[in-house]
Amino acid sequence: MSSTNPNAIQEWLSKQREQRTMHDWITDVGPFAMLFFLSLLFAVGTREFLTYNNLINNVAKNSAFLLLVALAGTFPILQQSIDLSVESIVTLTGVLTVVLIGEYQMGLLAIPIAIGFGMLAGLVNGIVFTKLKVPSFLVTLGTLSILMGFALIVTGGSTITFRNQAIRGIATGTWIPGVPNLVMWGLLIYGGTVFLAWRTKFGRYCFALGENERVVELAGAKVDRYKIYPFVLSGLLCGTAGVLLTLRISSASPNIAGGLLLPSIAAIVMGGTALTGGVGGPHRTILGVLVIAVLQNGMNLLSINPFVQEIILGVVVVSAVAMSIDREKIDVVK
Amino acid sequence: MSKTDNSAVDADEEMKEGTASAAAGETSLRVDGISKSFRHVQALSNVSLDINRGEVVGLVGENGAGKSTLLNILTGVLDADEGQLSVDGEPVEFDSPREAADYGVSLVRQEQDVITNFRGYENLYLGREEQRLGVLSRDEMREDAQAFVDDLGIDLDVDAFVSEYSFNERQMLEIAKSFHVSQKSDNPVILLDEPTAALEEAGRELLFDLIDDLRDRATFVFVSHELDEVLQVSDRIYVLKDGELVDETTAAAATTDSLQQSMVGREAADEYYRVPQQRAAADLGPETFGVSDLETDDLGPLSFSLREGEIFGIVGVEGSGKERLGRVLAGDVPKTGGTVTVNGDAVGDTSVAKMVDAGVGYIPKDRKSEGLLLYQSVLVNTSLAMVRTMNGRLPLLDLDREEQATADAIEELNIKTPGPDALVHGLSGGNQQKVVIARWLAQDTPILVMDNVTRGIDVGAKEEVYRLCRELTDRGVSIVFIGDELPEVIGMSNRIAVMAEGEFAGEPFDAAAGNKPTEEDLIQEMI
Repeated sequence: MSSTNPNAIQEWLSKQREQRTMHDWITDVGPFAMLFFLSLLFAVGTREFLTYNNLINNVAKNSAFLLLVALAGTFPILQQSIDLSVESIVTLTGVLTVVLIGEYQMGLLAIPIAIGFGMLAGLVNGIVFTKLKVPSFLVTLGTLSILMGFALIVTGGSTITFRNQAIRGIATGTWIPGVPNLVMWGLLIYGGTVFLAWRTKFGRYCFALGENERVVELAGAKVDRYKIYPFVLSGLLCGTAGVLLTLRISSASPNIAGGLLLPSIAAIVMGGTALTGGVGGPHRTILGVLVIAVLQNGMNLLSINPFVQEIILGVVVVSAVAMSIDREKIDVVK
Repeated sequence: MSKTDNSAVDADEEMKEGTASAAAGETSLRVDGISKSFRHVQALSNVSLDINRGEVVGLVGENGAGKSTLLNILTGVLDADEGQLSVDGEPVEFDSPREAADYGVSLVRQEQDVITNFRGYENLYLGREEQRLGVLSRDEMREDAQAFVDDLGIDLDVDAFVSEYSFNERQMLEIAKSFHVSQKSDNPVILLDEPTAALEEAGRELLFDLIDDLRDRATFVFVSHELDEVLQVSDRIYVLKDGELVDETTAAAATTDSLQQSMVGREAADEYYRVPQQRAAADLGPETFGVSDLETDDLGPLSFSLREGEIFGIVGVEGSGKERLGRVLAGDVPKTGGTVTVNGDAVGDTSVAKMVDAGVGYIPKDRKSEGLLLYQSVLVNTSLAMVRTMNGRLPLLDLDREEQATADAIEELNIKTPGPDALVHGLSGGNQQKVVIARWLAQDTPILVMDNVTRGIDVGAKEEVYRLCRELTDRGVSIVFIGDELPEVIGMSNRIAVMAEGEFAGEPFDAAAGNKPTEEDLIQEMI
């Protein structure tokens, strides 16, 4: 743009603004529109959908776990890697919780230990990924299998249980009237991750690393460290999910977290965090989670055959993700 | 300001001299009254030009002058709103690059369009593979491709993987591809868009030689920011400004100054590098940056120092180690020996983090791959370095400070952006580069290491960068100014070191105002 023609600059600037607004609009409104459309559909189609009991006890409570796992997966994806081991971390921390409470009678102390174990698993993921330079999807695919193996060994492949009603209250109680604890924990953690993403150096570097690692490195950041943190955070959130899941049902089995991986990644991408990294964020992931939760709930209310539900969920997930891929980084236009 | 009428006359005259219908000098590609607008922006208005057979035609203009739009219209990527293209006198309309290629018009892009994990011949045949019953005829393609490039006089092994090619060889492959896709034409028109932007001196000479060798078989349009190259390689030059053709001249009758003047529409003489504002040696502050016996596997030992407010130029041919030295100073490449001191304090192991902490900021040669987060905002890019230490040891961001620093940078560096939240991707090259510089200014970095800071930005933006460098030195910033453009390094620097084979060739040249070395002085030391 010539610096000698102020009119041309003004026109060019307004063109840039227009383009940006259009792009933003699609990404911003897409998941909302989907959520609204599905809710409208089920509100009209069923009598139960728009009731407090259904929205809180079914939609919100059941989606708390998906929310935690999806939030866990958001940060690695933001920095353009991925954590595929989330299911196993949830499972093994759940199993660990049962063992620590049931066999070792540790009570509350079991919770930080189990969560700490989740963080340790994440740390191992992160270190192997950054220091040994193994692609993150491979590392975490490996840990997915390894941790699941441990869970199978500890449980012997079946369900293990504990008895401690008091401690279960953390997951099953309602400390704030009208808000089940599971929903409360979900929202608290959601708020925490949004804060991490937008108000801390860690969050800023996640976005920046997802966009271009070299640039961040040359700006003086200790890149390796910031590439490990998202995996540790992922371990922490999955550990929390594992603990809550176990406390809720006072038991654990190797398949308690089965089937969380695909919906969680779908929720992340649907929400607007691109698999190519750098854009989106945890504040948007909750939208994707709600879309999936509402869809599952609505199908249940409509008494759709569970096998057919699987098919519908898969189709919706893939098409939603396909749509959001289009909204990613616009190509260079000259 | 003779525009097309004269050249048409020239063409006619030469036609009389020519014998056959396909004689050199005949109009090969004619652009007649082309206009194009995007929404409210008139990108091209009534542009007419003639490209004659066997000619090398230069096309220059600032960023946004309409060069890319014109190239896109010529190759069928964009449709013109008005006007007519004709090839060899026949009116044509291109709907795709493929159709353009059928008429012999093709483009060699700035960003290379080769697939590096394919072999040379596979790239040559890409999209037009020869096959029999759905099976690729590999041997035939390989042999034909080798014969094809040999015939062009291009020295390439088409069976090697492109990833093993040098940058130059890739470019030659692309030029060969231009011929290959234009086989239906006996004299293709090859449009070269900024072909030298990523090449160093030796590579450029190779390219120019190739163009010279091929000029009896093809017609070239050479688009570049580097005016001296355009002058060197072209027969005739068209100048675009704000979408209009403002000048048409023979290369013999033009100088870089005269071209620059028509491009920007103002006088651009010795003032260009703001030499009068250069700080005199007596006027410089104390030593701020010292390098002694610096070594890596392939560098050194190197020693030099900068005083406050000084610009220290470093030049050298490709492979001389000047870019690598920049990376060592940035902390990006570890040193194996020697010391680096900032304000008298030695920086131990040189990691990027340590150098940044010590006050050294690096501006890399390639801003798109190493300088900028293109799809992040101006704010995120500006504050990327300062966030490290924003709240002392707390890992929190200070959003107010970031906003303030970004607003200051936009104001101070005159960054043309819709706002601090706009994506850097949408800014022009010059404004993008200003954002990279702003990153270091935002945290008052006292020492800047710049590697080809004006690469690929237009003349107007270059001037702004030069002005900025002078203002920074007035404020006491010291600059290591590494560059491929000798006139620029000479114009900007207080002293200039010449690198050859990883070492300094002799003492640095004094480049005080009024006592600047000539390009020849430097070149003698470079080789």
